[in-house]
Amino acid sequence: MTARQAPGPVCVADDAELFEVAETIAAEWAAVGIRGAFLARHLDTGEQLGFGIDELVPLASVAKVPLALVVLERIATGALDAARPVVINPNASSVGPTGLAAFRYPATVAVGDLLHMMLSVSDNAAADALFDLVPPREVDAQLRAWGCAGIRLRHRMNRMYECAAGAAGNDFSLALELAVRDDHAGRHPIETLDPDHANAGTARGLVDLLARVWRDELGHPDARAELRRLMGRQVFTQRLAGELRADTLRVSGKTGTFLHLRHEIGVVESEAGDRVAMAALTRSDRRANLAPDIDLAIGTSARLAFEALRG
Amino acid sequence: MDLLAHLDAYVAAVDEASFSRAAERLGIAQPLLSRRIKTLEAHFEGQLFDRSRRQVAATELGLLLLPYAREVLDRAQRLRHVARSARQSAVRAVGVPADCGPAALARIIRAGADHGTTFAVRELPPEERLAGLADASLAYALVRVPPENAVLRVPLGLASASADGPGAARPAASGERPRTRRRTVHLEDLRPRRGSGGRSGRSAAVPVLTVAEEHVPYARDRLGRAVARAGLPESAVRAAGPTAAALAETLAGQAMLLCAEPFARRHGARWAPLADISLHRGYDVRAAHRDRGPVQVPPWLVALLAAAVGAAAAGTATAAAATAGEDVPSRLAARG
Repeated sequence: MTARQAPGPVCVADDAELFEVAETIAAEWAAVGIRGAFLARHLDTGEQLGFGIDELVPLASVAKVPLALVVLERIATGALDAARPVVINPNASSVGPTGLAAFRYPATVAVGDLLHMMLSVSDNAAADALFDLVPPREVDAQLRAWGCAGIRLRHRMNRMYECAAGAAGNDFSLALELAVRDDHAGRHPIETLDPDHANAGTARGLVDLLARVWRDELGHPDARAELRRLMGRQVFTQRLAGELRADTLRVSGKTGTFLHLRHEIGVVESEAGDRVAMAALTRSDRRANLAPDIDLAIGTSARLAFEALRG
Repeated sequence: MDLLAHLDAYVAAVDEASFSRAAERLGIAQPLLSRRIKTLEAHFEGQLFDRSRRQVAATELGLLLLPYAREVLDRAQRLRHVARSARQSAVRAVGVPADCGPAALARIIRAGADHGTTFAVRELPPEERLAGLADASLAYALVRVPPENAVLRVPLGLASASADGPGAARPAASGERPRTRRRTVHLEDLRPRRGSGGRSGRSAAVPVLTVAEEHVPYARDRLGRAVARAGLPESAVRAAGPTAAALAETLAGQAMLLCAEPFARRHGARWAPLADISLHRGYDVRAAHRDRGPVQVPPWLVALLAAAVGAAAAGTATAAAATAGEDVPSRLAARG
């Protein structure tokens, strides 16, 4: 393992060629104004490349992956019934643009389908309904019992909206401006942007988690298999999968987007049998809701890393 | 007797301790200098210099009168200064942006002469025009204000390399359909295209250069926001150095210059207006405050300045459309 001070983040890689790829990715991120962490690891050779891998970052919707795994573990061990119906009432449910969070009429959905909604379309209402069954504290305890260092769960999904709206009063531009400014100042009036109070994780911790799920090293076999299946159902392809869309490749991922945060973690698998787990956790100063070039930069990074690591 | 000329001769002779050197300093013949000193001695009824020694020296009277003589000369000098600056301030300076057409500025100077005022035009960046009004070094100036409540609105657009050579309006060949569509520039059109060709090069967006006239806080902030919202990095817009270099880059096809139409046309660049008129330039014509209170700007001057900056016909700009119909709360939540 080599670690050398590059202009910008500290890159890590297992050999010189991979190190160069890490530096190339870091340079491309800097060029479009992204700061953050990137880690890609070949699940069978263990080779990896990346930078900023131990930086603790607020997870946004990426937190739905460890939540899903813990809920699935409860189901697999019989503590929770996947068929159990849950009523989602729009008046009381969490804010969000997709899925049950966008529903206007009450709906009854089974726990197993809440998991599907949460991971396929990043449904905040489904996630918080699951958090009501397995509170953040219990998810966090299970992660620690498993020895998942580098991931902390502390709050429901709607807490992010509450904090942003509390600081900026439903003004998206203002909230974004606050997020960017305070990122530089190191202060966090939007509490869910503070790594010490938010659901947070490191690139290393998240890739470790994915690696253990994909390598069958963690929890119940049924839980791992169902998490892999559900992450493969994600509908968003603009980030990690952006440059890896082919019938011969499969990307199972979970994005996370909140104000100036644009993340995704996932596993790229090829027909040839290569499996690479990745985490891209980014922050930027972009004062816009959509930043296609940032999404694309994440996509090109994923492709570069995958092609370099599969050899 | 020209008292000032005579005092000059006397003071110079004391300073130099020599009639010949004093004459040289004043640029007059020595006999004239000697004559003036004698006239002065007659006027004061006493000797100013002791001429008995080899070197001329001031007498007691000569030394006594010296500081008073100097004071008279200083005051006369100051009087001349005041007179000169009063003469100069009769020239009314007009602060204009740096990219006005010389012919249009000439019309302002000529029209001033017709109205009995000497005008001078001074090309200055926006904040210096404001400062010039404040310290009254400018009589009138065009002041940048947001376009939606401006007296003058100047459409801003992007100048780019002309496809058919400078200024060439392609004549429609017979049988060919006439090209009449007037294009506007939408910032999101500037995103690099993906797909065929673009893949290998992954070319970045062509940079947009801005000149000093755009370096006004409100304008810079609006443009930065608009660029980000159009899906471009804010670095896609950068401040240009000297205008000539920015134009050269533009005409070479390596950048686009944010400017008004007359400026682009003068330099043979292609130009299309920005569709978002909240990004256009707005100007008020203001006069420096005088002791008697605010001064009215003559309407003929407003009209000529409007022509010089390339202002559009009167019409009010509306601010960028609000994000109507969007689900605001969910944008603040975790998404995807």
